[in-house]
Amino acid sequence: MQEIMKRKGRYLLSILVIALVVAMVITLNSLSIAYKDAAKLPFESIHSSIIIQKNGNVPENTTGTVLSCSLAPISLPSVERISSIDGVKDVSSGLFLWVFDSDNFKRVLGVHWNDSIGTRIKSKLVVGRAPATDTEALIEQTYASQYGLRINQPISISGKAFTISGIIATQGNDIVSSDAYIGLAQAQQLAYTSPNLQATESFNADDVNIIFVDADQAKVKSVAAQLKDIFTDSAQNGGKTPTGQTIGSYTISTPDSFESQISSLFLLSDNLIAVLLAVTSIGAALIVIKNMSQSILERRKEFGIMKAVGFASRDLRNEVIAETSVQLFLGYVAGLVLSAVAIFALAGTTIAVSIPWDLNPYPHFLASDPQSISTMQTYPLPISFQYPYAIAAFLLVAAIGMVTVLILARYLNKTKAVEVLRYE
Amino acid sequence: MSDIIITKSLSKRLGKVQAIRNVSMSVRKGEFLAIQGHSGSGKTTLLGLLAGLDSADAGEILFNGKQITKMDEEQLALFRRENIGIVFQSFNLIPTLNAVENIALPLFPSNMKNGEMLAKATLAAREVGLGQRLEHYPNELSGGEQQRIAIARALINSPKAIFADEPTGNLDSKTGKKILELLKQLNKEKGLTIIMVTHDDKMAKAAHRILKIKDGVIRHG
Repeated sequence: MQEIMKRKGRYLLSILVIALVVAMVITLNSLSIAYKDAAKLPFESIHSSIIIQKNGNVPENTTGTVLSCSLAPISLPSVERISSIDGVKDVSSGLFLWVFDSDNFKRVLGVHWNDSIGTRIKSKLVVGRAPATDTEALIEQTYASQYGLRINQPISISGKAFTISGIIATQGNDIVSSDAYIGLAQAQQLAYTSPNLQATESFNADDVNIIFVDADQAKVKSVAAQLKDIFTDSAQNGGKTPTGQTIGSYTISTPDSFESQISSLFLLSDNLIAVLLAVTSIGAALIVIKNMSQSILERRKEFGIMKAVGFASRDLRNEVIAETSVQLFLGYVAGLVLSAVAIFALAGTTIAVSIPWDLNPYPHFLASDPQSISTMQTYPLPISFQYPYAIAAFLLVAAIGMVTVLILARYLNKTKAVEVLRYE
Repeated sequence: MSDIIITKSLSKRLGKVQAIRNVSMSVRKGEFLAIQGHSGSGKTTLLGLLAGLDSADAGEILFNGKQITKMDEEQLALFRRENIGIVFQSFNLIPTLNAVENIALPLFPSNMKNGEMLAKATLAAREVGLGQRLEHYPNELSGGEQQRIAIARALINSPKAIFADEPTGNLDSKTGKKILELLKQLNKEKGLTIIMVTHDDKMAKAAHRILKIKDGVIRHG
C-alpha cells in the first residue's frame, strides 16, 4: 500500500482503467438486461406474454363493423388447443372490431369480463362500475372526453344500444387499446351479422381475432414455438397486408420480438456488447500489464537490492502480487461505485417502446395526419444493478491480475542479485 | 582463529573476459580484509562471488564450512539473509522507503511484526551513530548518512561477515574516513569479519590484510 501511495501517479492509471472496465461490464450488461425487461413491459400491462393474431384481407367497404387486416378471424378449436401446451398459465381471447358508425369511428374490443383480460380492463376503472348486463359497455377516458360521454349515458355501437356503466383509463397507445369495451358474445354477434365483415372474411359466430397467452417466463420461447406448430400459415390468396404480412399467416408476438426491435433502436445487441466488452477488456489488460511491467522495470535496481539483501524470488513475487492485488481491488471497488452511480442515473431515464401497428390498429385514413398516430409507449427504464455481472467483472479483474503477476513473476525470476553490483 | 571463507580454484567469465582466474584464498573469522585492485581488475566480481550474489563457473567457496557454490537461487537468498551484510558504493537505498524502513528491509521477508522490525532497525541505526532523521527519505539525507543507513541495513540480521564494495567511493574524504572508522569499530567491537573492496591505498591500509588483484588473479595472499 505504501509503495502504491508513493507511486500513485502510475498506479492511478491502472486503477482507473480497471474501474472503467468493471463499470462497463456491469453497466452495459445491466442496460442490456433492462432493454430485455423493457420489451416485456407492453405485455405486462395486459398480463400476457404472447399475443396471437391472424393476418387477413383489407376491408373493402368501411361502413358498419369490419375487421382490421391484422385481425382476421381465428376459429375456436385452435384456441382450445393452446391450454394444453406445457408452460401455459392462462389463455384469454377477444374480438377487436373497427366500427364505422355514421356519427363517428370507434375501436371496440369484446372480452369475457371474468377472464384475465376482462379483469385487467375492469381494474382500469376510474368512474362507474363494471358492466353487469350484456347491454352495458366501458368507455375509454380520452374517447369519453372527446365526445362528452358520461356514465349511464347511452351509446350506439353499429346500431346496437349500450349503456355506459363505467369509464376506464388505459394508455391510448397501449397494445389493443380500444375506445369501447363490450362483452365478447355481443362483439361476436356484431361481427357475425355484419355484411361488410362477412364479405371480407368468413366469420363464424364464435370466432375471435386476438388471443392472449400468459406463459411461464422461462418457457415463453418453447410455448411460442409450439404455438407456431398449431397456428400454421394457411395462405389464402398469396397477397400481402398493407403492413407486409402474408394474408392467412399468423403473427405470434412475444417480448423477444419487441426486444430485437428495441435492440436495433439502441444499437445495443448482445453481440455488440460482447464485442465491446471483449475489446475493452483486452485493451485494459494490455494497459494494466504494460503499466505494471513498466513500474517493475523502473524498479529493476530496487528488486536487485532486495535480492542482494536476502529476498528470495518468492518474496518478490509476493510483493508484486500484493501490489497488483491492492491496485486491482481499488480499481474494482471504484468500478462498482462508478457502475452503481451510472445505473442510478440511468434508472431516472425512460425508454420508448414502439407498439407495432398490428397490435394496436387504427385506420390511418381517418387521421388528419397519419404519421402523427402515436405508436410509442414510454416506460421508466427498468434497470437495476446486476450482481452476477459484478461477480463476472471480479473474475475478469482476477484474470487480468493473474496474467499480470505471471508475466512479472517470470521477469522477476530472471532478475539476478548480482545485477545490483553492475550499477555501481 | 579459524577461516570463515575458503575459496578453491575459483573462476568466473563475464562475456569474453575471464574476470576471475583460479582464485584460491581464505578469510579468517573477525578479520578485516581489503581486496585492492584497479578498475576492471575483477575485485567487484570476486566480492559478488564471495557474497553469494553471483555463481562461479568453476571452483568452490566454503562459507563457515558450507559449500555455497552448489546452492540454488533460493538457497543463496536465504544464505545472504542469514549470514552476510552488503554495503555498496552508491548506498543502494530504496527511494520510497524512509531511513528506518530501509534499515529494516532485510527483515521484510521474515514473519517479524512491523513494530518489532522497526524497533530493531532503530537499534541498528543507533549503532552506526544515526539516532535521528530516521523518518527521512534517502534524498533528504547526506551521502555519509545514507552510507550509515546502508551499514545499519547490513547489520540488521546480525551477519557473520560484511562485504563492502568501495564503501567510501561516493563520499568526500572526510566523510569517507568516518565511514572507514565505523567499519573498523564494528570489526573491533563486534568481531565482525569485513571484506572490503577498494582501489584506494589509504583505505586498504586500514585493513588487517590486503589482497591485491589484477586481471582476475590474486597477486599477494
